[in-house]
Amino acid sequence: MKSGLKIVALTFLVLISIDLCAQDGVVLRGSVQDAETGELIIGVNVIEYDQDKRIITGTITDPNGNYVLNVTNPDAIIMFSFIGYKAQEIALEGQTSLNVLLSAESYELEEITVTAEANTDPLSNVAQRDVASSRVKIDMVDSKHMGAVSAEEALAGKVTGLDIMSFSGDPGSGSSIVIRGLGSLGNARPLIVVDGIPQSVVISQDFDLGSADQEDIGDLVNIAPQDIKSIEVLKDAASGAVWGSKGADGVLLIETFRGSRGKTKFDYQGKYTWNKQPPPVPMLNGNEYIMMQLEEWHNAKGIYDVPQEIAFDPDYIDFYNYTANTDWVDAISRDGFINEQFFKLSGGGEKTRYYASLNTHNNKGTTINTSLKRVTTRVNLDYNVSRKIRFSVNFSYSNSNKEDNYQFRVEGTKQRTNIREMAYQKAPNMSIWEYDFKGDLTGEYFNPVESYQGSGLQYFNPVAVGNLSQNDVIENRISNSFTLTYNIAPWLNFIQMVSMQYVGQKKNEFLPYNAVGSDWLNELNNFQLEQNNTNTEIITRSQLRFIPRMSENHTLSGMLMFETDQINFEWSTLQGMSGPSTEVRDPAANTPIKWLGSGTQETHILGLLVNLNYKFKDKYITQLNFRADASSRFGSNNRWGMFPSASFAWRFSEEPWMTNLTFLTESKLRFSYGQAGKQPRRAYDRHAIFNTTNPSQYILRPIVVPLQVQLANLKWQTLTQANLGIDISLFNRIDITAEVYSKKTEDLLWSNYKIPKSSGFTTLKQYNGGELLNEGWELDLSAFVIRKRETTLWLNFNISHNVNSFVAFPENFNNEVDLSIGNGQFPRRADLGEPVGSFYGFKYLGVWPSDDDVVATNENGEVLLDVNGNPVPLSYKGTYLFQGGDARYADINHDGQIDLQDVVYLGDSNPDFIGGFGGNFRWKDISVSTQWQYRLGYVVVNEVALNTEGMLNKNNQSKAVLHRWRAQGQDEPGMLPRAYLNHPANNLGSDRYVERGDYLRMVNLTVAYGLPKNICQKFRVRSLDVAVTMRRIFTFTYYTGQDPEISPNIENPFWFGTDKAKTPPPKAFTLSIALGF
Amino acid sequence: MTIKIFNMKCIRILLFIIICLLPASSCDDWLELIPPDGLVRDEYWKSKEDIEATLMGAYQSFAGLNGNLFLFGEMRADMIESDQNTPNAQRSIMLGNIYPDNSMTDWSEFYTVINYCNNVLKYAPEIIKFDQTFTEYQMRGFEAEAVFLRSLAYFYLVRIFKEVPLVLEPSEQDDVQFYLPKSADTTILRVISEDLNKVKLYVTDDYGSPEENMGRATKGAVLSLLADISLWNFDYQECIDYINEIEEIGYLLMPGGKWFEVFYPGNSLEGIFEFQFDQGLGQNNALWQKTYYTNRVIQASKTALDLLTPETSSEIIRGPGSLRSYDGMIWKFCGAASDGVTYRPSSERNSCNWVVYRYADVLLMKAEALSQLGRFDEALTVINQIRSRVLMNAAEIPYTTEAFEDAIMEERATELAFEGKRWFDLLRLGRRNNYSRKSKLIEIIIEKVPSTQKLVLASKLTDPFGWYLPIQENELERNSNLVQNPYYADYSTD
Repeated sequence: MKSGLKIVALTFLVLISIDLCAQDGVVLRGSVQDAETGELIIGVNVIEYDQDKRIITGTITDPNGNYVLNVTNPDAIIMFSFIGYKAQEIALEGQTSLNVLLSAESYELEEITVTAEANTDPLSNVAQRDVASSRVKIDMVDSKHMGAVSAEEALAGKVTGLDIMSFSGDPGSGSSIVIRGLGSLGNARPLIVVDGIPQSVVISQDFDLGSADQEDIGDLVNIAPQDIKSIEVLKDAASGAVWGSKGADGVLLIETFRGSRGKTKFDYQGKYTWNKQPPPVPMLNGNEYIMMQLEEWHNAKGIYDVPQEIAFDPDYIDFYNYTANTDWVDAISRDGFINEQFFKLSGGGEKTRYYASLNTHNNKGTTINTSLKRVTTRVNLDYNVSRKIRFSVNFSYSNSNKEDNYQFRVEGTKQRTNIREMAYQKAPNMSIWEYDFKGDLTGEYFNPVESYQGSGLQYFNPVAVGNLSQNDVIENRISNSFTLTYNIAPWLNFIQMVSMQYVGQKKNEFLPYNAVGSDWLNELNNFQLEQNNTNTEIITRSQLRFIPRMSENHTLSGMLMFETDQINFEWSTLQGMSGPSTEVRDPAANTPIKWLGSGTQETHILGLLVNLNYKFKDKYITQLNFRADASSRFGSNNRWGMFPSASFAWRFSEEPWMTNLTFLTESKLRFSYGQAGKQPRRAYDRHAIFNTTNPSQYILRPIVVPLQVQLANLKWQTLTQANLGIDISLFNRIDITAEVYSKKTEDLLWSNYKIPKSSGFTTLKQYNGGELLNEGWELDLSAFVIRKRETTLWLNFNISHNVNSFVAFPENFNNEVDLSIGNGQFPRRADLGEPVGSFYGFKYLGVWPSDDDVVATNENGEVLLDVNGNPVPLSYKGTYLFQGGDARYADINHDGQIDLQDVVYLGDSNPDFIGGFGGNFRWKDISVSTQWQYRLGYVVVNEVALNTEGMLNKNNQSKAVLHRWRAQGQDEPGMLPRAYLNHPANNLGSDRYVERGDYLRMVNLTVAYGLPKNICQKFRVRSLDVAVTMRRIFTFTYYTGQDPEISPNIENPFWFGTDKAKTPPPKAFTLSIALGF
Repeated sequence: MTIKIFNMKCIRILLFIIICLLPASSCDDWLELIPPDGLVRDEYWKSKEDIEATLMGAYQSFAGLNGNLFLFGEMRADMIESDQNTPNAQRSIMLGNIYPDNSMTDWSEFYTVINYCNNVLKYAPEIIKFDQTFTEYQMRGFEAEAVFLRSLAYFYLVRIFKEVPLVLEPSEQDDVQFYLPKSADTTILRVISEDLNKVKLYVTDDYGSPEENMGRATKGAVLSLLADISLWNFDYQECIDYINEIEEIGYLLMPGGKWFEVFYPGNSLEGIFEFQFDQGLGQNNALWQKTYYTNRVIQASKTALDLLTPETSSEIIRGPGSLRSYDGMIWKFCGAASDGVTYRPSSERNSCNWVVYRYADVLLMKAEALSQLGRFDEALTVINQIRSRVLMNAAEIPYTTEAFEDAIMEERATELAFEGKRWFDLLRLGRRNNYSRKSKLIEIIIEKVPSTQKLVLASKLTDPFGWYLPIQENELERNSNLVQNPYYADYSTD
């Protein structure tokens, strides 16, 4: 296929060819009256059909009930229809004037939602009830009042096997979504499909983000939650297989609302949310901090000259700047507020149905200078060209503007320091604002080039950076799709879809010189960055569906599909430095260029799918899929991946011998087995690329060198999954679903796989190797406890368990890394068969009360003696002798030394159980619903505590350190070690900072009241609802940090969960009003 | 009519199906996408220009390493000292606290050069088969250059790490064996001397410009490297033979008044092989930043000051040309004249060449070889040749091997101060005659170590493996076939 354009062109060709030649017309005139009252009716549809029931032309009656229609065929059939009246069809038979009486429908129309449309998978054409694979569909109608900002948030805790964790509480930061454990390395995010269109993922350029920050890929789908009709989670390979190479990490199918026949409906919803941060870790104030620093100096150095910053010397020029009591965390925090407005218009008639919506979202974050403004619009149109041909158009556009703070890149790593991390470190005796030597405010931020803590670039003023710096991302996302459905014959139809997506992102960073302390020549002064990313994706899909009519006992359907996908990604970055002023924020303004770069990546993917569904007697169900994908990211030898899958179901409740069990309703047993593939994330990794270097010549001769290794053996990562499930329905009220699965990933793709540097390279861009296994089970229960006309109570509960482990490592893989130990370091090791996320460290036993207590002991607890009979001193690596007040670690091998040999297993960061429960209760017009989420059985490293309780540097520490060792002999329970500047071993990676992360959290609690119908009618509105939602008000956890939600990310087998002072998701209170006309 | 429409439909359906299935034939083209930036391997290796461009990449990468070449040659020796802004990795090595996690033990840049050279050596013979403009003579010349650079890289690696993996094939594709074990230093030295001997006939002596004649491999450069390797192997006669060949080429010693021109502006009559830098071409030499006095990274040691201060040593040319005695600033890479006052403009500092071999160096090698063979008269002549041109009195040395050894060591320290030679000279001294003089080497190493650790370190360093750097921890983690230098095996970072 040369390009998808061919198909587009062909589609239009077909459309054109459908138009028949115009014939000489006849003018038909007349009027339409109510049969009973004789009133003339306005707006009646008058439509001409041909024999094939194809719409030829149409009009509506004018305010006088009259119409004029230019009829093409004198023998046509004319149809008169209007809401509330019975439609009439009249054969014209050459008449030129036709007066019609319409009689009212005999019953009063209540507002009803028609769900008669076949509820089928958009690709495989299998009805929901016949599904044999593992998939869960969540109807979003009941969640319209929830304060949820995104689809991900609305799903939390609702579906088994689905682990959703917010990356951060900052606006627009998105969530991590993991289906049934991590099956890939790095970013294992599921594919999101909106109305049958896989959503483009914005690939970050990777010049400095070899592995993109999770936050950068967080917010994938800017879709208004109110537009979402349902979300379906496809969990096993058999259901995901039809989505091809992108669906290997699971699929979320999102369906948006479409118009339905009937009067135009107008809906409005206003939501106002107040966000409150959970209380921060309490930190030392200025005086407590200075006291602690003095102790650190004294313990480490004995008699010393007190640095003037902490000496309380009124003659010191910066005296006033270093004697403040600043609560930095409080200074950068605020209450957040979200204002969300939503309008929608929907309706339709014979030929056309429409749905249009507009959503504005305005989110002020809980950290200063963070916000998200987003406008989303969506138009879904369906047009029936004839009974055989239907044309659908989906169009959506969103514009979002995310504001954040400049993040300092930590030297030599990919990490960034945000202002919240700094607020926890910054010395509280420093003032936010600068005082002169007399104690008068100068009006500037206090930003010394070299402060007590260190350089002004490393220890910046978080308030100044928050208020002055810029880190904005503007994103425009346009997505549209055209679908033509052609019913060739009752048993055969053809669907042609073309979709185009465009995502444009523009990022601007600016760091004004007055936000940080640095000398004028520093290149970070007035640093400017502009980055543009453009993603375009064109997908075409041709489907041929067969639904042959068979005898009653046999149902057969099948489908052939051909898909092309073209993905194009372009980026450019411009970094300027030393700009002339704080107002010139554009790096193109002729400032010295710090870095320039651009790139393009294009990928072509072909997909073929054959699908066959067979059902016998409505009891035995078989679905077979065969998918083949080819991607340009692979070389020609491994380009095609074949991914078959099969699923079987047995609806045992239909068996005659089961019919006695009257309590058992619709129940089935399911089994599925299938494969899915995954391709590398970047387009050109497989090539050996030759390019020039910097400098680009030697003497006067040009330079071209190989920059990456050719990957001749790169192949698809293959996931094989088996799933056994049972769905039981009891008394038509209780639903139970239980599943067990085993998911094995082979030929794992490693991005930037490290190879020996003696090769002349440091990494292979991609490498296939190793196997990863996820095994687990899931249980979901739901029940209508009460189901009466005025009162209903529905409860649900779900739990899932997943164990993740490596079953094979790549050849030559080293499973022990970072064996250096030291303060804050955890040696890491991965073992075959053990869960990923294990970590190791020392056992912390408290504090040595005095110098005399420090002894090395043998296994029996006796003092260890050397050959001369003298006690062996307990040392750290033989270089530092422990003293009173130092941290006490278990000397596991009793050799008198605390070293690598004393490191023990401390736990793993994979939760044993995740799940949720909730329910809703309705009484008359009042409803209450709630959802809770839990994760159990995992530990995390509380890095915030590690950084704020060590007392060995000049960072601020938490209030917990007030209870520390200060004098020989002091021995109190829970006491922390002594303050000691640059202590070699007081803060080793130990279980002191390893905490249980288990939590139970209230996701939401909503109380809604709908105005009764009769009152609504008085106000001439269709409906009026008011709701109050509270989210994340309660969290039950042992965890002492701010938030135990640590999103998993296994870039390599050595991952473990650490809490890094991200902005915690706030407590939210939402008032929402929904009004319908 | 109905039938007719149905037929049309059938045709349309057929058309669609055909269109849908058609692409299978041409889809390979559609799926073959080539990156728009740069070239892929299928498009490269087409002409002699490609060979030359990669070869130039090897020169440039090696030249970019010069800051490290300086450090590897001086760091553990006695001519330089740390200052307040010395990076921790370098400071630790100077203090003898060497652990495998030290970032200075990263050898990747040497292997980048080696990989480029391996590419050149593989493809030069291939391209000559279809590039009509590529002559056999040119091809042999390129090969000789690549062999020279690769051998020089391995010679450095052997002197720094002792045993390293010997990679002779390019890392082109993911099925290449990346996980090579170490090769013995003797094997590596044998392989590279054989290679160099093979190519020395083909190497060009005239590239057409003085910059290229100094900046690219010439016969003199290949012979100097061979002489250096022979001396390292204590094959004195072989060394002398190579140097005799060099002498025939016609290099000259710069006269005393112009001695400083060896370093500024460089490419002097004395130069044999110098990595070329030119700020105007974007080829900056950042070495001066390490030695510039305001940066406070590296300063001359007391030994260097004693050796070179004119007041104590009467070195009136080489002394002020090498360092500034009142603040210990290394002057060779910053000055415009040997007066300690006139700085080069910063553009000139960036354009300073890095001298790998020069004639004085080679002559002193010869003196060393001669003296070891007991040919003291000839050796003394050479030494005095070096001394007299910088207006120093003729040396008077007792006719013993050891006295000559010490005198030549001092002469080399003076003549080649801060040129990245000293540590390797000391290693040669320590290894000679079955380590008979290793205590002198150890004495020098522990000079900079704090007094509390001197004794411990001195006893540890009697193990000659401790004279080499450890394999970086990071590299050991990547390659399980590597075995750590036994000296460091017990001193992992725990």
